[in-house]
Amino acid sequence: MTQTPTAATPPLSWDDLAYLPVSDPSFSVQSDAVRQARAQGWCARTPYGLAVLRYDEVNKLIKDRRLRQGSWAWPAHNGVTGRFADWWAGWLLNMEGEDHARLRRLLNPAFSPRALAELSPTFVALANELVDGFAATGECEYVSQFAEPYAARVVAMLLGIPEEEWPAIAEVSATIGLAMGVTFAQELPRIEDALDRLFAYCDAIIADRTANPRDDFATTLVLAQRDGERLSPTELRDSMALLVFGGFDTTRNQLALAMKTFAEHPDQWALLAQRPDLGKAAVEEVMRVSPTVTWVTREALADFEFQGLTIEAGTTVHLFSESAGTDPLAFADPSFDITAEGRVPHFGFGGGAHHCLGHFVGRMDMSVALPILAQRMPDLRIGPGAEWMPLSGNTGAHRLPLLFTPQS
Amino acid sequence: MKVVVDMTLCQDHGQCAIAAPEVFRMDEDSKLVFDAEPDGSLSDAVQDAIDVCPVQAIFLER
Repeated sequence: MTQTPTAATPPLSWDDLAYLPVSDPSFSVQSDAVRQARAQGWCARTPYGLAVLRYDEVNKLIKDRRLRQGSWAWPAHNGVTGRFADWWAGWLLNMEGEDHARLRRLLNPAFSPRALAELSPTFVALANELVDGFAATGECEYVSQFAEPYAARVVAMLLGIPEEEWPAIAEVSATIGLAMGVTFAQELPRIEDALDRLFAYCDAIIADRTANPRDDFATTLVLAQRDGERLSPTELRDSMALLVFGGFDTTRNQLALAMKTFAEHPDQWALLAQRPDLGKAAVEEVMRVSPTVTWVTREALADFEFQGLTIEAGTTVHLFSESAGTDPLAFADPSFDITAEGRVPHFGFGGGAHHCLGHFVGRMDMSVALPILAQRMPDLRIGPGAEWMPLSGNTGAHRLPLLFTPQS
Repeated sequence: MKVVVDMTLCQDHGQCAIAAPEVFRMDEDSKLVFDAEPDGSLSDAVQDAIDVCPVQAIFLER
């Protein structure tokens, strides 16, 4: 990988780039405009900087240390200060350099695939229990009856919160999620109230595991130490709260997007039911063609040249994960196929230093859930009344009625 | 301790370089370079790197 332009790289002017109105509520990352811009070149202009559309360039820039994670200044951009802004500043995602590395080293062990492997049977039982609630009827409202309780109860399991308290996890996460929208500043009192409740949950778990350590995820987190260092009480609480918020919403949305994708590919759904061993491949394929995180943002730390384009310090760079994942230059046949071999990895979990910390959890819980859903919900169709989020930023469904043939 | 990285899997995310900077680092082109025979005192750090690798490309040869 060469990051300095060679003599053969012609200069590229911002004025010549296609324009994508990413902040328009009707904008879609799957629109013809994005496809045309990708055919024309590797990037496009947006109201907030650059959009990177092709696999190779996303792959390079997502790991490029001349860029930092892009949303760190979001509270400041909205004039928000105080405890929400302080929490945000302490997110692993919003830290860089040695501060980021130290925190990540301390958080990593709780998320290791070895530590998580034993949870798999619990996820199987949870998926089946939830499907039991509607399997005989041939229909469900999938977000409220499966995706939301599944995602929230996985978080509850990890942290050792009683699973019947899952609606509280869903509610505080949804309220805190208002911080990502245009009404952030107006909603701040509600958001901070939800954050206080989430902090109280986390503080109680931390106090309990400190006094009564057990063999579980929360204890591993609370007792983590490396090179004589420990997480401070604030770091622990902030990180635990981020884990709840970051782990719930993304999983719920990705599980809804999986059903949309499979409803459009009935042969693949039938195949997954027959071959549950394809669960892992199904998750990777869904996240390649329909990732909940439609773009990952970065911000240029200094002026630099990339493929002939001058990117100035402070420029926001949107790395389009779905566009990269379906780029014909990287995928000879980009169509959805859970049996495809030799695919290059998708960017649904980001990449580089900020690669998703919880991806082993997400990969495992979804790869367990999808084959169970395929076996127990044959002939899947989307029913009337589905409500989708815009196909931009972090996407998913608010409401997803599903129809299927009930099993006797 | 002998460290092996499957370079056909490695995607240069650099998580190993965060987990065990004494053994793994990213060069100027953001490509992985590593010490294949690190001191035994670094085994915990290497195990953390093995665990955290997003594509599980790092192995120990005994």
